[in-house]
Amino acid sequence: MARRGLPAALAVLLLALPAAAADENRDLDLIPEAAGQAPEAVSPDAAAQSRQRIFLENATTGWSVRNSFAVPPPGPPPPDWQERLFLDARIEHPLADGLGVTFSDRFNGMAESDVPFPSHGDVRNDFRESFLSWEPLTQNYLELGRINLKSGVASGYNPTDFFKTRAVVDRISQDPASLRENRLGTLMLLGQTIREGGSLSMAFAPALYRPSPLYPDVLPSFDPMFDRTNAHDRVLIKGSASLPFDLDPELLLYHEGTRTQLGGNLSRAVGQSTVLYAEWAGGEHASLIQEALTYGRQTGTLPTYAPSPLPGDPRASFQNEIAVGASYATENRITFNLEYHYHEAGFSGRDWRNWFAAGTANPNLLSVAGPLWFIRSYALDQQEPVGRHSAFLRADWVDAFIPQLELTGFVDVDLHDGSCLVQLTADYYLSNAWTVGAQANADLGGARSEFGSLPQAASLLLKLVRYF
Amino acid sequence: MSEAVPRLARRLAVLLALVLACGQATAQAQTAQEILAASDRIRNPHEPFRLTSSLVEFVGGKPRGQSVLFVYAKEDPTTHRFRNLVRYVEPPRDAGKMALLDNHVLWFYDPASKASVRISPQQRLIGQASIGDILTVNLAADYTGTLAGTETIQDAARQDKLCWHLDMAAATDLATYFRVEYWVEQKTSFPIKAKFYSDSGRLLKILYYRGFSEQLGVIRPTEAVIIDAVDTALVTTLKFSDYKFQEIPEAWFQRDYLPRLRAD
Repeated sequence: MARRGLPAALAVLLLALPAAAADENRDLDLIPEAAGQAPEAVSPDAAAQSRQRIFLENATTGWSVRNSFAVPPPGPPPPDWQERLFLDARIEHPLADGLGVTFSDRFNGMAESDVPFPSHGDVRNDFRESFLSWEPLTQNYLELGRINLKSGVASGYNPTDFFKTRAVVDRISQDPASLRENRLGTLMLLGQTIREGGSLSMAFAPALYRPSPLYPDVLPSFDPMFDRTNAHDRVLIKGSASLPFDLDPELLLYHEGTRTQLGGNLSRAVGQSTVLYAEWAGGEHASLIQEALTYGRQTGTLPTYAPSPLPGDPRASFQNEIAVGASYATENRITFNLEYHYHEAGFSGRDWRNWFAAGTANPNLLSVAGPLWFIRSYALDQQEPVGRHSAFLRADWVDAFIPQLELTGFVDVDLHDGSCLVQLTADYYLSNAWTVGAQANADLGGARSEFGSLPQAASLLLKLVRYF
Repeated sequence: MSEAVPRLARRLAVLLALVLACGQATAQAQTAQEILAASDRIRNPHEPFRLTSSLVEFVGGKPRGQSVLFVYAKEDPTTHRFRNLVRYVEPPRDAGKMALLDNHVLWFYDPASKASVRISPQQRLIGQASIGDILTVNLAADYTGTLAGTETIQDAARQDKLCWHLDMAAATDLATYFRVEYWVEQKTSFPIKAKFYSDSGRLLKILYYRGFSEQLGVIRPTEAVIIDAVDTALVTTLKFSDYKFQEIPEAWFQRDYLPRLRAD
């Protein structure tokens, strides 16, 4: 039996040798018939296409509003719903060799539960950027106009993003990545030289207006709002270098009015899936409470000689702002960012206790509740965290469950009281031109917590986008 | 029975030695690294160049969206690895986005937010930039190849091709994939097929080269079909066009240059 079986076994084994190649050829069966054709030729105006992004978006939002508060916010309650249609455009246009112009704008048409229709509040133009760019010498650049100058390597909070203050005019999404998209640039002159191994940038933004009060919820229709971005002389010097060990450090020196700040950014990839990064800014200034009250008095929102509703040291001292974190990408196309944020000038645990104590002791006294809520509105306007310690986790999943579905979510946690802001977004790319999406967010926490004390408890947004 | 197995093994060993000797007789002239290097020279020019790549993604056999990228590539004279700058043209929602892919220094720039984000090599595999990167990688620089044998396999046009079958392991931590199987036509050094694996041994992508035509003085593959081995319903076709030699200064390969990368 063994002798009869031997030739048969040998034959099977020999047949198995070419079978390896036959198996390889089975991979060809995975190629769909339609993929037998080469992709269509690229449009001759592809270069022009890459220089612009224009889209029309319809977004319908509904809010759930809290009925009871530890510290009632002054003013009318927030809206219940909003319907918005907006046209968003960013266009780069070359004028000549080494010379170009960039324009970025969003035009909104809105209807909102708390705004009469029709009224001036139903239309608004967000004039974000318009600047000339010139390359007089190779890799030396000059730019003049309204420019959105961004710095920082972190995802949830950027201490070195010095031009972020007062720049955000739209909070359709609370995602920091989205907030960076629709913000106003600053009128400035920017120079930059890029050399092998590093670059140096200098920006000067002149003071053209006096500091203005914080804007109400309904913004002016066609006001470029330069008072938000050009109320102080501002200078930024920024240098970066490509060093060994792929550290890519960036150093910043920033001066605004009477305040000078230093900053730094550092990042490094570790292995195939992880990037570590750290961002720091430091300078001498007062606490968030004192800065906010000073600004309120200076701009006439708060009475000039009104006493502070909260105890605190009005003197300036060296304050640090830090964002340190890591990103991790999985084989399944999910990218996580986990960060710790330290904002030394922000509320300590004692400041929070004082804030709620002052507010609950005089819940209906506008002269107390007004300044208390002004401090928090000021922090939001400055894009600074209110609390001193916070954690941020963001996840982005490309082709989640099914192709063309992208899920994004983040949670921003106040480490003092555990309250948090949570947002989940789903975008489904129906085609190259159409996207449909939904977004839900919630402020979670007890009544005497940072996020649990906010008037808006949750919201749901549905959107349809057409790209051109 | 107990004696039959060793005898079978001995006979089989002799037969295998004969079969493999046919291939190895030719292979002695070319080592696996030389075969890799020859194939790398076919796939990519030695001088800095740019091209346009068009990608169509198929889901369940139906086309779903097209992407177009401008790719600028330059070989590092020291490491012989390609460094890429990628500018997105399509889809319209991604127009103007840019990526710097320089070994471990990987940055992504979005002109809408003006933000530069550092990404990991694994993130390079997310999205279309990864595919452009696959096709300009110099395999000989990142992988150590061993000759697995000689095989006749069908190319993308289902034509039989006598190929070297190379089994390549990542030689540095800069290699995107842990292991690559690679088939190179013996007669021409044309790349025919590749299979890319993760460090867990998972097959991630299967790639077929096709559309061989003369570009920048050499006959090169100008098309590729990439099968997502994790979800085989996903297939991407890719076409390279508008090959041009282009001077690419070293200063371009840093984060701060990304916003300056023009679409000419």
